Amino acid sequence: MSDDPNRVWPTGLTIAESEELHKHVIDGARVFFLISVFAHLLAYAYSPWLH
Amino acid sequence: MNRVSVKVMNAWLSLGPRFMPFADAATPDLPLSRLLRLSLIQVSVGMSLVLLIGTLNRVMIVELDVPASLVGVMISLPLLFAPFRALIGFRSDAHKSVLGWKRVPFIYRGTMVQFGGLAIMPFALLVLSGGGNSGQLSTWIGQAAAAVAFLLVGAGLHTTQTIGLALATDLATQEAKPKVVGLMYVMLLIGTMGSALLFGVLLSEFSPGRLVQVIQGTAVLTIILNAVALWKQEARGSSTSQSNTQRRPTFSQSWSQFIQEGQALRRLIVVGLGTMAFSMEDVLLEPYGGAVLHLSVADTTKLTATLAIGGLFGFGLASRLLSRGADPFRMACMGALVGIPAFSAVITAGFATSAILFGSGTFLIGFGAGLFGHGTLTATMMLAPRGQTGLALGAWGAVQATTAGFAIALGGIIRDLVASNLQSNLLGYASGYDAVYGLEIVLLLVTIISMLPLLGHIGQKVDALS
Repeated sequence: MSDDPNRVWPTGLTIAESEELHKHVIDGARVFFLISVFAHLLAYAYSPWLH
Repeated sequence: MNRVSVKVMNAWLSLGPRFMPFADAATPDLPLSRLLRLSLIQVSVGMSLVLLIGTLNRVMIVELDVPASLVGVMISLPLLFAPFRALIGFRSDAHKSVLGWKRVPFIYRGTMVQFGGLAIMPFALLVLSGGGNSGQLSTWIGQAAAAVAFLLVGAGLHTTQTIGLALATDLATQEAKPKVVGLMYVMLLIGTMGSALLFGVLLSEFSPGRLVQVIQGTAVLTIILNAVALWKQEARGSSTSQSNTQRRPTFSQSWSQFIQEGQALRRLIVVGLGTMAFSMEDVLLEPYGGAVLHLSVADTTKLTATLAIGGLFGFGLASRLLSRGADPFRMACMGALVGIPAFSAVITAGFATSAILFGSGTFLIGFGAGLFGHGTLTATMMLAPRGQTGLALGAWGAVQATTAGFAIALGGIIRDLVASNLQSNLLGYASGYDAVYGLEIVLLLVTIISMLPLLGHIGQKVDALS
């Protein structure tokens, strides 16, 4: 594996593999963003600007 | 490059793979520390389950004044997702990944969904109760938000549990599987019992702020536990890469292949019947103790602990015997056999007004359910066809979770119906409960009869698979 020219070190991943890993991170960030928007809307409905 | 830079560079090189979440290689043996870490998924599942079924059930009705019927609907929503466990398992088996993962992406997504549901849940519940300024809004907003939160938590926990069990099956050798199942069950029990006590203490002085802290704290803990559980567990290369052009079977093709092999349908029916038999009394034991045996609230609360301790003994004995090569179905059969005198003892305790007999019966119900659950899950893991582990575990989970939920609801309905129609007979108030316990004995007998053709066959099947 270490002599594979397509692998980038120190991670030892290929470009395609790192893109897949990156996709998971980005998907996670998107889900976090949507959850926080939804939670903030509900928090606003309960107590606008915490008043 | 100067000497310092070279040193830093070397440090980076040595650190690289350590910060990647894959296992170095698929090791033939699974050390206990790694197994314990993997079973943390069950702790987070237990935590969410007890929050939905126990803690929030009470909080919504008592503290937030939400109508009990609406609470019932909300709590049953996660169950809608249970039948999809088989589909999730199949999707995971067939997952194409350049990284060569098939379990990690699903547990990751499941965790995110579970986290999402828990993160919005406290606000959704506060809006549902019409507190603060939300009383000015239409009621459907709170109802829809709470429904979304419950559905998300349900979808998340069913996904993480199914794929977590599939990952454990992938990692463990045939000989180690009984111990893995035992550990998974014990960790689920620790998760439910521990968090029930903790939630009770934390929410003893209720305030909307405290509710937000507790539920969102659970959300964060879910992510932490699942991340620790998953770190470096799945080796790369367990999934087919995208370059593989071979056509994958569809769900229906895969399902029909799975169901035809090794009496899979009979095994699933047995799991369903046995789970129903051991679940119907779930919410009835405590009111039975109070109403028929006149036990105090403190005494009836101890019943839950008695049931859990019985379960622990069951898991312990089953792990010991199965790892020595006992037949899992014989073990499940023993569990069902123990259930018959257990329910008989509970019925007799009502006539004799004997709390000791009732306690012993409850302990035996837990013990029998432990043996049955352990036996059937071990059999499912051992018989899971290669390449269909996720589907097999998903089907087991779908049947188990759906029938358990259905049985709990059915138990309550039967008790009410019988009690309202037979109020004036000899049995009096106990008639509704006794009808349910009697039906459970019948179901256990049917389970044992259905299981007979499966006894002794597992050894040959496992030999054929390995």
